[in-house]
Amino acid sequence: MASRFSTSIPGIGKNGSTDLPVLKPFAPSQPVAFNTSAWLANLPPWTGLVLLLPMMIWPFASHAGGNFTMTDAFAALIKWMPFLLKSGFLFNVIISLFAMLIGTFLGIILGLGQISKTGIIRRFSWFITQLFRNSPWLVLLFIVLLAFPFEITIFGVIIMIPDWTKAVIGLSLPIMANISEIVRGAVLSVPTAQWEAAESLAFTRQQILWRIILPQCFKRMIPPWMNWYAILTMATPLCSLLGVEEIITLSRQAMESENNHPELLVPFYSFALGLFFLYCYPIARVTMHLERRYSVKI
Amino acid sequence: MIKKIMAGAIAASFAMSPIVASAEGCTNDTWNKVMSRGKIVVGVKADYKPWGYRDSNGEIVGMEIDMANDVAAKMGVDIELVAVQSSNRMQFLEQGKIDLMIATMSDRKDRREIVGIVGPNYYTSGTNVMSPKALGLTSWEDLRGKPVCGKQGAFYNQIVEERYGAQVIAFTGNAEAKQALRDKKCIAWVYDDSSIGSDLSSGNWDDFEMPLNSEDDNPWALAVPSAERDCVFGRFMAGMQYQWHQDGALIALEEKWGIKPTQFLADKNAQYSDWLAE
Repeated sequence: MASRFSTSIPGIGKNGSTDLPVLKPFAPSQPVAFNTSAWLANLPPWTGLVLLLPMMIWPFASHAGGNFTMTDAFAALIKWMPFLLKSGFLFNVIISLFAMLIGTFLGIILGLGQISKTGIIRRFSWFITQLFRNSPWLVLLFIVLLAFPFEITIFGVIIMIPDWTKAVIGLSLPIMANISEIVRGAVLSVPTAQWEAAESLAFTRQQILWRIILPQCFKRMIPPWMNWYAILTMATPLCSLLGVEEIITLSRQAMESENNHPELLVPFYSFALGLFFLYCYPIARVTMHLERRYSVKI
Repeated sequence: MIKKIMAGAIAASFAMSPIVASAEGCTNDTWNKVMSRGKIVVGVKADYKPWGYRDSNGEIVGMEIDMANDVAAKMGVDIELVAVQSSNRMQFLEQGKIDLMIATMSDRKDRREIVGIVGPNYYTSGTNVMSPKALGLTSWEDLRGKPVCGKQGAFYNQIVEERYGAQVIAFTGNAEAKQALRDKKCIAWVYDDSSIGSDLSSGNWDDFEMPLNSEDDNPWALAVPSAERDCVFGRFMAGMQYQWHQDGALIALEEKWGIKPTQFLADKNAQYSDWLAE
């Protein structure tokens, strides 16, 4: 009996319908600004396979006679894969991790410097940030790699500085400047009413910053921070122009050892592309997820 | 463009690096450094088969590596190989990052002003081009005003440009340069004649030929830091090269690495032969 009643109640027994205007739940619009991580994360997962497709097709298309077939090219690639992975891509990852670590640390200091109350610190931090944020990465790398010493002597002990550590320093400079801007932006994004409220509760400026403002900023900074990590990782092959031993440098040397057949170009570079995609794609997905979760609620 | 940035950066770094070399007297800094740490750091190529390249384990091997090993053995020290590129090898040597450079470098006047090149030259090669048979090139003058592919850091890029007015497009790797030749982005690929010869004989380049007379016999030189040229290290390396020529070690290495025998090495071997030997 009761069940017969309930089936006739709109919204319970059957789908609700009404001709009255309905207030739909609020859905924040997606950020409009172009964002590498967002772009990357919005690609469907099978994109990686599509990207590897040229690797399969191109050698057929470009083949211009001769007895070096694409089977030979793939056999060569398979032979070199462990080496390229262990001595090549691993270094790209190491370079990106250390550059991010140093860049983040310095960037936070610089970013807090930009909101300092002392004019000279603020202006100096602003200048350093703008200098490195607006310089080409490659030029910074050139300067660091060629102008820095290859070894330093401390109390008679000679310490060698390998090329990849110099690449770390070179890449951490633009990261530092961009993290600085993220920190500054995040602090400024906290409503000023909070500063005023905290001041009225007799917090000092330092306390306000550390206990009230920065904890809120932290969540907001994570997505752009990870975005920059993905960009940095994809920028590490720049080091190949300077002879740092990473995946692109070693791919070239491997192709040299295989007698420089042009058929090798696409399989080898596609392999590098595939590796970077596999590494950066999950990061981009997580960034998107965090961005949605921490998107500013007003 | 990259070459210009590189040149600028090198110039800047030279200006920044402290001046150590003193013209008077020998301090033998590099030699002493090598001896005291018991290890010599040699700059070699990792992208120039069969002179210096990587085997599939990633180890650098090749003819010049064998020569470097012999140097370390005679000095009684360990060896560390550093892969250098044509564009940074002289810089590395003068910075002190490497102690000795054996890296397929052609012996040029302007280079002698920068690094400590010591004789006798250990090898020589000529420059030639690979171009499609259909073009039927007959002389170097045919290259005037035409795009020609090359490899970055090779000195003959400049010569081909200045002497014959070709427009050189320089690539970072030979595979890229050869692909550009196939794609008809350039009418010829300028490189060492021995390397072109081995490509042509591999059977993958049937539609291509090496049509010109090889230009310039380019003697190859190894180098020590310029401060060491007229000191112990420079003299020692001159002696090493002399000995390699005299006892035929270079000819044996040439054969070991499958390089086409050159008249140059045979001549040098005859020139330096021991007059008392049978």
